[in-house]
Amino acid sequence: MSASFTKSTARNIFYGGAVFFFLLFVALTLDTVQALPKRDNRANLTEQVARGKKLWEVNNCIGCHTLLGEGAYFAPELGNVYQRRGPEFIKAWIKAQPTGAPGRRQMPNFHLNDAELDDLVAFLKYSSEINTNNWPPNIEG
Amino acid sequence: MTSSAMATARAASVSAAANDPLTNVQLKYRSQAVAKPYFVAAIGLFVGQILFGLIMGLQYVIGDFLFPEIPFNVARMVHTNLLIVWLLFGFMGAGYFLIPEESERELHSPKLAIITFWVFLVAGALTIVGYLAVPYATLAKITGNDLLPTMGREFLEQPTITKIGIVLVALSFLFNLSMTVLKGRKTSISMVMMLGLWGLAIFFLFSFYNPDNLVLDKYFWWWVVHLWVEGVWELIMGAMLAFVLVKVTGIDREIIEKWLYVIIAMTLISGIIGTGHHYFWIGAPAYWQVWGSVFSALEPIPFFMMTLFAFNVVNKRRREHPNKAAVLWALGTGVMAFLGAGVWGFLHTLAPVNYLTHGTQITASHGHMAFYGAYAMVVMTMISYTMPLMRGREANSNAAQVVEMWSFWLMTVAMVFITLFLTAAGILQVWMQRMGDTPLSFMATQDKIAFFYWLRELSGVVFFIGLLLYIVSFFIRGNERASA
Amino acid sequence: MNTATPGLVAPPRVPGDLAMWFFILAELAVFGIFFAVYGVARQRDAALFAAGQAQLLLWPALLNTLLLIAGSAMVAAAVRAFAANLVASGRRYLLATLLLGGGFVAIKGWEFATKFGAGITLSSSDFWMFYLSLTFFHFLHVILGLVIVAAVYVHARRGAYDAANHDGVETAAAYWHMVDLVWVVLFALVYVAR
Repeated sequence: MSASFTKSTARNIFYGGAVFFFLLFVALTLDTVQALPKRDNRANLTEQVARGKKLWEVNNCIGCHTLLGEGAYFAPELGNVYQRRGPEFIKAWIKAQPTGAPGRRQMPNFHLNDAELDDLVAFLKYSSEINTNNWPPNIEG
Repeated sequence: MTSSAMATARAASVSAAANDPLTNVQLKYRSQAVAKPYFVAAIGLFVGQILFGLIMGLQYVIGDFLFPEIPFNVARMVHTNLLIVWLLFGFMGAGYFLIPEESERELHSPKLAIITFWVFLVAGALTIVGYLAVPYATLAKITGNDLLPTMGREFLEQPTITKIGIVLVALSFLFNLSMTVLKGRKTSISMVMMLGLWGLAIFFLFSFYNPDNLVLDKYFWWWVVHLWVEGVWELIMGAMLAFVLVKVTGIDREIIEKWLYVIIAMTLISGIIGTGHHYFWIGAPAYWQVWGSVFSALEPIPFFMMTLFAFNVVNKRRREHPNKAAVLWALGTGVMAFLGAGVWGFLHTLAPVNYLTHGTQITASHGHMAFYGAYAMVVMTMISYTMPLMRGREANSNAAQVVEMWSFWLMTVAMVFITLFLTAAGILQVWMQRMGDTPLSFMATQDKIAFFYWLRELSGVVFFIGLLLYIVSFFIRGNERASA
Repeated sequence: MNTATPGLVAPPRVPGDLAMWFFILAELAVFGIFFAVYGVARQRDAALFAAGQAQLLLWPALLNTLLLIAGSAMVAAAVRAFAANLVASGRRYLLATLLLGGGFVAIKGWEFATKFGAGITLSSSDFWMFYLSLTFFHFLHVILGLVIVAAVYVHARRGAYDAANHDGVETAAAYWHMVDLVWVVLFALVYVAR
């Protein structure tokens, strides 16, 4: 009898493989979630940082910037901007937008008050201290 | 003419017409026609997507273009959300067309399909209007984001109420199709399509999980995005491609379905753990660099197989189908998906490379060709095959097909150039901003690579011309049947 | 097969389903890549890996190697039995495979329990990451192998196989041999090689 290549074997391999790898993925996820407390800087995840994350979201910062390399590529990486520029520069910069420089990429003014600016900076500081396995390669992001 | 002569002439024209692929074809099941509005909406939204893409491309080089009326982030969320929604309309139309045919019965409720269509279209349109009309923070406030905050993440910018609407639309769609399948014939193509569509809906639920913990936020965000486009969407794509290939080649369905299972098995075997290639630098443990690299390196395999498989079955075809354009789209989908998703994906998937390229124009170059090659093209393959049928003919006239094929080549070649120019920009960006002892700042680097952004924008204009030509092809009459 | 023309050589055939062979090759490729990456990592930090290896117990691993090899022998015997129409014998050999594989799972499970109990995780060190990843990934494959052999056993009990038709048994055997082969390499690389 010649060798076969049956649809049912292929189907079984599909279902078996899908279940197998999904279970493995769940196992690795459980391990990851258990390993995170030592990596994700949650000790600094204060209510202020949480407010800062909300501000980050409702102003859609990710629509122009990247955070830990994820997002849009129109404007600089902000995961390490706290180290690159420091809190005072960040607040001043946000308050001073838009620059209006002709032809330069423009950032809106989000009309944030001082408390909100502090919240956002706290979020960026928290983000910069997450263990990202040494990413980005340098201070420019 | 005498009445009997007229009757004879009419009878002669009917029997002649029955053999003419340009006329007199009926759908196997009348309810398949509900796919038509979905496909029309898909193309309309596709046009919108590209218009906003052109706006963004110009903003890359003329930074204050349309500022402050349409800031870059607004144009971007319109561009990406329109992409996702037009592809969803395309998948839904495909489902409404192929499930009744595979199940060998009418759709459970054509009326529900049409109601769902309008709900989705209006909700989508309102959301896009919302993005454009008010500042995003205002949209968040007026849509009650504070009650359950899900806004503000890439591709998931939709207000929470829109997301809930999407879930309801999906459930209505899945209910309709599932009821059809349950009461009818179950084929591999229909089962794989349903698995993919249910998976799409289930993984979308993770978009409602938005913890304060940024690492957890990002970890599970990828359970929507990666498990969609490098997971269940490939099942949908495989089923659609298999359906069209069965129809246009006449090859035994057993062979095609068997290969479909092998392809999607490789998709999930490589892609599930392959999610790890997004976990290198976001705070997850370092072992993901090994697991993610090893498994994601295998992700091109299913795309390679799809290409081999498509060319093989077309080569061994048992019939000459008059719809040449559909065959071109099907073959093109395999090739472009393999290049864009497979090859370009592989180029930056290994952790040591990705360390340098993460979050650069390399990412954008891969993303554009992958989405176009895999998903835009498979939807257009489906539309190319089904639209003539829904308009009463087996294939369009030769003239119309020629124009359609021109549009295929314009869009496809333009996309290749977009990808090449962004790759060049990305390599330079990595070199200048991420390497060496005196790296340039982000903004300084962007200035230096502007030349490639101009070339990209030019390619984008050509792409748009191709898209316009695609629409024109639907309105070309012609009376010559396409030659074999 | 052409039995009508005496003297004609029977065409070469591949045992079992070709789809399974495709996946066996894919599996071997993945394990191969993993082993290669392990090799590179070990070269980079030989001291760490040597220290880790020293904490591994050799006897359970050796026992496991014998269990898997014996399992391979049993499943190969099952194939021969079905080919000779000795279906009752074939079923018993399949059961033996299940028992031996079950032994592997028990011993390996105990090994994992002791390691986790000592607080070792994937994040403990590069060595432990590779050790746990490789052995756990293989462990899951043994379990899958047991599921496949059990499914074949159930089919056999329903009389699905005989001398002319036992592709399913050959497919299961091919898979089991792959799992066995991978373990032998793993055992040599991770437990033994200094």
